[in-house]
Amino acid sequence: MITVNFPAVLHDVAGPSIVVRESVSTVGQLIAALDRLKPGLAKELDDPLYNIAVNDEILLHAVDSRTVKDGDIVEVIPSMAGG
Amino acid sequence: MPRDPQFSSQGKTLFVDLERRETHSAYTPLGVTRTLLGGRGANMYYLYRLLDETLTPLDPNIPMIFGSGLLTGLVPSAARGNLTSWSPESGVLLDANAGDYFPSFLRMNGFDHIVLYGRAPQWTLIVIREGVVSLEDAAPYVGMDNIDMREAIARDLGGTWKRNLAMANITRAGENGVLTAGVMAGPKAIYARGGPGAKMGSLRLKGIVTIAQTHEFETSQPYKPFNRVIAQKLLGTSVVKNALSKTGTPFLYKPSRLLGAMGTKNNQETTWTDALDAERFDPYRPGMEGCFRCPVNCRPLNDLHKATPDKYDQGDGPEYVTLGKFGPNLGIDSVESVIRLNNICNDLGLDTASTGSALGWAFELFQRGIITTADTGGIQLHWGDAATVAQLLFMTAAREGFGNVLADSTRAIEKGHYPAEARKYCIAVKGLGQSDPHDARILKAFALGLAVATRGMDHLRNRVTLEINARINDNPAFKTELYGGPVSAEPTSYVDKERAVRVCEDIYAVGDSVGMCRFTTKLFNSPSLPGIEEFRDQLSNVTGLEFTNQELEQCGLNVMGVERLINHRLGVRRKDDTLPDRWFDEPNPSGPYKGEKIDRQEFDAMLTRFYEISRLTSEGVPEESWRKELVGALGA
Repeated sequence: MITVNFPAVLHDVAGPSIVVRESVSTVGQLIAALDRLKPGLAKELDDPLYNIAVNDEILLHAVDSRTVKDGDIVEVIPSMAGG
Repeated sequence: MPRDPQFSSQGKTLFVDLERRETHSAYTPLGVTRTLLGGRGANMYYLYRLLDETLTPLDPNIPMIFGSGLLTGLVPSAARGNLTSWSPESGVLLDANAGDYFPSFLRMNGFDHIVLYGRAPQWTLIVIREGVVSLEDAAPYVGMDNIDMREAIARDLGGTWKRNLAMANITRAGENGVLTAGVMAGPKAIYARGGPGAKMGSLRLKGIVTIAQTHEFETSQPYKPFNRVIAQKLLGTSVVKNALSKTGTPFLYKPSRLLGAMGTKNNQETTWTDALDAERFDPYRPGMEGCFRCPVNCRPLNDLHKATPDKYDQGDGPEYVTLGKFGPNLGIDSVESVIRLNNICNDLGLDTASTGSALGWAFELFQRGIITTADTGGIQLHWGDAATVAQLLFMTAAREGFGNVLADSTRAIEKGHYPAEARKYCIAVKGLGQSDPHDARILKAFALGLAVATRGMDHLRNRVTLEINARINDNPAFKTELYGGPVSAEPTSYVDKERAVRVCEDIYAVGDSVGMCRFTTKLFNSPSLPGIEEFRDQLSNVTGLEFTNQELEQCGLNVMGVERLINHRLGVRRKDDTLPDRWFDEPNPSGPYKGEKIDRQEFDAMLTRFYEISRLTSEGVPEESWRKELVGALGA
């Protein structure tokens, strides 16, 4: 079971969080599982605005192959620049 | 200089001799526009021609130059202008950028640039009413900070903010020569970096007020249809739609702290509390504001919901920079404190980047015992003490007590306030404190950008923001297309990072020179925002000047080239394109990249590669053939 938390801007399409009970071992598989639960969500997440953090570790590259395991907390985080 | 416009929509350059109270005007030569465009670029032409480096920055014969971009006021999100001089804070190029309404309304009065010099016999207010310039007595406004002055000007001169009235003004901090003082361009908008407020104060110029009805410009071709294309592109981009227009820039705080890249306690630490995450500001954000004709509206307003609010309980902001500089940088963990300090800085006209840097430096020196209460007038400098920070802001603006030390910013050692050993803890490059709170030990493209930025340690000149974007890092073909060649996907790698910095520096310089906001320029926040192609097409419509993509990119490079020629005259060399010692010597203490730092040899090799692809010599100035081209175009 992996819990995925979403930022407010995605609450309309995903709600504040989704619990994935399907067995997955990578972030790529996790996103595919999310899309099965909420069709279209993978497309929403395929957006340069969003980064993904696993247990508060933000992933900057090689995201899809990053391993995840039961009990992990995954978070979708908007990333941008400021002044 | 030409007496007639050189292309459609061109405004005049107004020269004001404040000492003799004389004005005249002319037009920027066409060759300069084709080489450097307008705004920031053309400002460099004026500074290069008028700079006497045997003087000092606050000498009244060193000019101070306002310039609006070629598309400023006409195109959605192009509301920006630059202010250029020789910085009294850093000692190198001063070039600050602001939006709100002043840069656009200056153009509504028929002026693209204002070149100011000479010290006025008494405090002066320049009033430009429907294009007619008058120099008026500013005595009634002397001693006023931003809130009071804006109220007084609207009352005394008539007009309505955001409709037909705009102003660039200094506060008491500028009058008092505070080196972190900016020139305010609105309730929050500020020409911030490098001490422009002190420079304006040295000319005894309290403000420039523009009053004119807004209107459309006579352009070469109709431009509104393409404005709609640009607006759709802006509003259709995820970062605008889902982040900038809803919350504003504080979104960046969370990824920075999770990454272990959040400059904390003067960069001694690199992560901080979740109590300052963007959503914590939601209850205090009654709405969003925007600049002239910008559909994005990215500026959060604030309200602390006090039963009997004083003037600092409501305001405008904060942006991410202010959140970082007055949050983690000073060990402050309260949203309400950050908002209140932001509002105080907006009123006092203080650059939150430089002021926050000066405070963080002082607090660390106090922590280490390098300075004591004997130096601070009895004030204890303890991390997280927001009340003391507020007190110090007022003291800085007035140059009272220890505020006089903070007011000298990075020059505190040179002025005799701090011992030489304090230098080691100063987070600055080329004399300018870091603009944003991002600790770039991890991110090598960020680090190179901060090192080579021509105005000092500032991310807005060339930041490769997409380096922290996993979707782009994981798409090498797309990333190669964006930067014109491969760039390593790994944030900690030095490989090809110079290429990404070069491309960003060029497009941002073009953006500044046409007046486009950085937040909505391609590559800063998204690969899908307006960039060279859109600028090219709208320049053609508005000015009738035709540029190829390559020519526009060359203009961006030229702007950087002239800035480096100016800096070279001011003594800047390769050794100055560097980073704070802490980032070379101390490993990052937290986060997934714990232990990461900047390797001196790798950095030096990356800098060499950057110079090579930028047509710069080993000392960081344009190579001979290009230098001759630039100097020829400048007519110098």
